Amino acid sequence: MRGWGLANDLAVSATGLVKKFGTRNVVDGVDIAVPRGAVYGVLGPNGAGKTTTLRMLLGIIEPDGGTRTLLGCTHPRDASDRVGYLPEERGLYPAMKAREAIAFMGALRGLDWATGRKRAGALLEATGLEHAADSKIRKLSKGMAQLVQLLGSVVHQPDLLVLDEPFSGLDPVNQERLEALIYAERDRGATVLFSTHVMAHAERLCDRLAIIAGGKRRFEGTVADARGLLPQRVHYLPKDGDAAVASTLPVDAVREDGGWRFELPAEGIEGLLGRLIAAGHGIAGLSIERPGLHEAFVHIVGRDALEAVA
Amino acid sequence: MSGTSRASTLRRTIRQTLTIARRDFIATVFTPIFLLFLFAPAIMGSFGAIGGLGAASVADGVGDRARIVAVVPNDQARPVAEADTRLRGVFRHEEAPPALTTLAVSADPAKQARAAFAAKDYDASAVLYGPLEHPTILYGARGERAADYLVALAQATLVDRRLGADRPRVEARRLPFSRARPSTGGGHQSAFFAVFGIFFLTLFLAGQVVGTMAEERNNKVIEVLAAAVPLESVFLGKLLGMFGVAIVFVAFWATVVGQIGALMPPSIAAGLGDLAPAVGKPAFAALFIAYFTMAYLLLGSVFLGVGAQASTMREIQMLSLPITILQVAMFALSSAAASRPGSWVATVAEVFPLSSPFAMAGHAANQRGLAAHAAALLWQLLWVAIFISVGARMFRRGVLQSGSAKPWWRRRRRASQPA
Repeated sequence: MRGWGLANDLAVSATGLVKKFGTRNVVDGVDIAVPRGAVYGVLGPNGAGKTTTLRMLLGIIEPDGGTRTLLGCTHPRDASDRVGYLPEERGLYPAMKAREAIAFMGALRGLDWATGRKRAGALLEATGLEHAADSKIRKLSKGMAQLVQLLGSVVHQPDLLVLDEPFSGLDPVNQERLEALIYAERDRGATVLFSTHVMAHAERLCDRLAIIAGGKRRFEGTVADARGLLPQRVHYLPKDGDAAVASTLPVDAVREDGGWRFELPAEGIEGLLGRLIAAGHGIAGLSIERPGLHEAFVHIVGRDALEAVA
Repeated sequence: MSGTSRASTLRRTIRQTLTIARRDFIATVFTPIFLLFLFAPAIMGSFGAIGGLGAASVADGVGDRARIVAVVPNDQARPVAEADTRLRGVFRHEEAPPALTTLAVSADPAKQARAAFAAKDYDASAVLYGPLEHPTILYGARGERAADYLVALAQATLVDRRLGADRPRVEARRLPFSRARPSTGGGHQSAFFAVFGIFFLTLFLAGQVVGTMAEERNNKVIEVLAAAVPLESVFLGKLLGMFGVAIVFVAFWATVVGQIGALMPPSIAAGLGDLAPAVGKPAFAALFIAYFTMAYLLLGSVFLGVGAQASTMREIQMLSLPITILQVAMFALSSAAASRPGSWVATVAEVFPLSSPFAMAGHAANQRGLAAHAAALLWQLLWVAIFISVGARMFRRGVLQSGSAKPWWRRRRRASQPA
């Protein structure tokens, strides 16, 4: 991972973003700092305010409070030609051909039509959709149309790519294609900002992430930072199966999968292992597991909050 | 914001607007449905022609059977017929009185005259009987003019009989003359032509823009557009795209009508020839085009803004009635203005934004001077910008659920701060 931290090296920054729908604060003082060149995830349960935050960052809607900077511009519109965007609600003109749809989206962002068509052909070929280049959108499957729209959001080679729930509705093959495209964009030098509520994608892709719940930012940092919020867990399987081993184990140890599970002691595992061997319990199996992003997410957001939106 | 930055923003706005206009134009024109739209007037005209032919044949039948009847002694039949031939020459064919039938007088001419109205082989409009010096004339429903004509016919016949060859003959020199300035009647005629022409075209064409934003909402492209392009550009682009469609329509039919102009009924052709706008025909033609453009953009921007709030076809269809009423109201106001140039009604119609293009077209027909038109066009353009801006704000607030965008002066202040 690259070293980030300079305030002027941010592709996106927002401080205290607020958005009210009626009397409800759907976004309530969110801060975001996306380093240039990073893949940055905005995570949160359904209704957390992710989409509204992204729309405010892009200038689609205006915040009721706070400030934002997009690629160095205080008004997002001034940077619109350097931004690519895939909205959560996919939308293309059904009567348009795939190549034209991609070129049109490029033209909206300042790319001339001829170059747009040429790049569209190359992008479709690179993603294995060259056969659909001259097909009308209405004749494509939902997944294919979604990929076409994604290609439309990168055809002008933006400095910042914003993807709102990009994996939703894609089959595993197309999810892989999308991941490859995100990596390719990052390798090209673009910053990728995407929202998701699927932890596996965030865990694989994100250099940094923010977790939003109830309109507030609950966490900001790397995936490792998030996972580090929870202690590591030990799964120990004694050789002798003697129930008396419990007296040697930490007090939080509970039986699980024929062995014992407990938090990694603060002093480390070595001393405990020494005591277990000395007591003759032996070691049939031992694993030290770091909690996944999912556990960290649940810990940060709170199970109650997740159940409330479920 | 620096001058270079402002120019760059303007260029980008124009480019984005034209991109959207191009998409809408192509998506509308290059479809089979557009052919139906383009030929709709021909279809309507065909039905009209068929109906018209039927009505005309009925009317001709009635006209062929209509007669004026003179119950006169045999020796007067020929002089009456000759006078009729001479008098009838001053009438246009369609304005001429019904053909003359003479009946030899019988013992009871009054009874004979009444019987003429019951004749089976013709329909009497008016019947003259008795001495030509003091005849009695019976006339039926709508037969007053025929009765008047019979009076004139009797008088002409008497004059011929009494003076004979001594009847004075007038040898007149007839010279064509062109007016130095248009007649009041010619101006009014031109004004009505302009107001009606623009009304007719906008009635057909401007209503199309109502559903364009609903299309974007239904296919969910609006989010893509709103992220890339200011909503004002989206609105203007859509308006220009549909205006392009209107231009294709007008150009097509102007060409067709131009080609078949020779086939136009002489009365209509003569009517067009009588147009005498105060600003002159070339300037009038240019102003007609300019005001049609402004009428389209003004009404279109209002329809676009209102239509953008609708989300279903049903809601859009519900809007068609108020839209038509609004157009007819503007037409009525402008027609009143055209017939009373310089009146307070005319001033109101010329200043009120939605009627201004219609009324100013009428103004061009009635009054000389072009300065007022430059001011009017700028005024109308300003209102197009206002309507688009208001429409975009309503859309942003009502549909995108955003608060009002920052006013431009606040944006400028923020943009001037370091990032």
